Amino acid sequence: MTKHTKGEVVLQVTNVALTYDRPILRDINFCIKNIVRPGLSQGQVVTLIGRSGIGKTQLFKILSGLQSPTAGQVTIHNNKPVKAGDMGVIFQNYYLFEWRTVYQSLLLAAKKNKALFGMEKQTIEQYAEQFHLTGHLQLYPKQLSGGQRQRVSIMQQLLKGSDFILLDEPFSGLDVCMLDKAVELLLQVSLSDELKTLIIVSHDIETSVAISDTVFILGNEPDKAGATIKKEIDLIERDLAWQKDIKQEKRFLETISEIKNEL
Amino acid sequence: MMVAVQVVITLLLWQVFSDGLIPKPGKVAEAFMHLLGSKLLLDNILVSLLLTLKAMLYSILITLLFAYLSVLPFFKSIAQFIVKCRYLTLTGLIFIFTLLTKDGSQLKLSLLVFGIVPFFVTSFLSVIVNINPQEYDLCKTLGYNHWQTLYEVIIIGKADQVFEILRQNFAISWLMITMVEGLSMSEGGIGTLLIKYNKYNDLTNVLALQLVIFMIGLCFDYLLGTIRHWLFPYSKLKTAKAS
Repeated sequence: MTKHTKGEVVLQVTNVALTYDRPILRDINFCIKNIVRPGLSQGQVVTLIGRSGIGKTQLFKILSGLQSPTAGQVTIHNNKPVKAGDMGVIFQNYYLFEWRTVYQSLLLAAKKNKALFGMEKQTIEQYAEQFHLTGHLQLYPKQLSGGQRQRVSIMQQLLKGSDFILLDEPFSGLDVCMLDKAVELLLQVSLSDELKTLIIVSHDIETSVAISDTVFILGNEPDKAGATIKKEIDLIERDLAWQKDIKQEKRFLETISEIKNEL
Repeated sequence: MMVAVQVVITLLLWQVFSDGLIPKPGKVAEAFMHLLGSKLLLDNILVSLLLTLKAMLYSILITLLFAYLSVLPFFKSIAQFIVKCRYLTLTGLIFIFTLLTKDGSQLKLSLLVFGIVPFFVTSFLSVIVNINPQEYDLCKTLGYNHWQTLYEVIIIGKADQVFEILRQNFAISWLMITMVEGLSMSEGGIGTLLIKYNKYNDLTNVLALQLVIFMIGLCFDYLLGTIRHWLFPYSKLKTAKAS
């Protein structure tokens, strides 16, 4: 097992429930702890897996503070209840303001980050170079490809400076080549800061598990209405986290089967 | 090419079926050319255009005020009432407006504004209602408060659509101008000119003037569309490039 320690709780979900005309989510309880790896700025990558229509998007909105749960609460650092704006959110279709150029969109986000005061322009240029978007700063979102939009969305949320980045189905609609690039990009983000925490909501099991350290399975239990966290899998304990080409390993494939059986 | 063929067919049908009362296309074209060269037309067009532009400016300001405020519950019902005012006829309100205004110029302007605003508000409210909820969500995730969200999504984000509404509703203003100009004819205008020609059954000049009105409308439609694309370059972008 890779040498690491788990520190303080960075995100705590306590008894979250959501009910419309019927229960959608119930008794959602989990926490994410800060992972410390010697010699590395290792962030956390957590995946929430569930079948389509199980309530992943609702849980995503609750975690991001865009929706209030019917019961329970989500807290971040030092028990602070989460509110919209605390989390960086990357929507499924990488939504960007269509009337802003890439540069303008990034500047709006950078201006929200007090730590970047006076250095917004230089920081945007640095990020653009790192994300291979230097030549695209003056383009509008409609002029970008799906992959470029994704990178701009991620850059926008990184510039905003939130420790948490929530990603809704980040791999859907990407071709094989773009998928690899997206994975590489997320790993790069997770290594950018000790407290950086990526929460991926996805039904693409193989890809999301391959880059995560923890998996939470959202599903239904017999005779109980509403989805809940059925199982937590610590991929570090299983020596499946932070490994390149893990997808070929037998134990990885066994874990995938285990997850599929739980769904 | 197809349009050219359609125009030719229409002109041919017009030529064949017009009798003594309806002037033939050649006569209308002659009158049209004569009108174009006259100072009378230019003066009257300027009067009408000035009044239309003034009315549109006031209308868009009133529309924006009520449309932006419509996000607040108190103003939402007022905006919705304005939308319903589309079904009021101006004819029945002329006397009330005459009492409320000082002179013919003010009467025309206020009637025109009253006639245009409900259509502007209707169009703009439909833009607001159809805003993608993700635009608001993105603002929230960026930590914007309500006013910043209003500014970004509705004021800045929909500025190009305000221009489009202006373009689409210019036709309504242009339609109304001929009607309101008939109420106070001392200042002139193409509406006045049209009424005069109609009074003397000068159908050739009526049709020639209709042609002028039609062409000015088309020019403005094109001009406003071009200005929109120039001011808001993203409004003409349709497709994404391949990666």
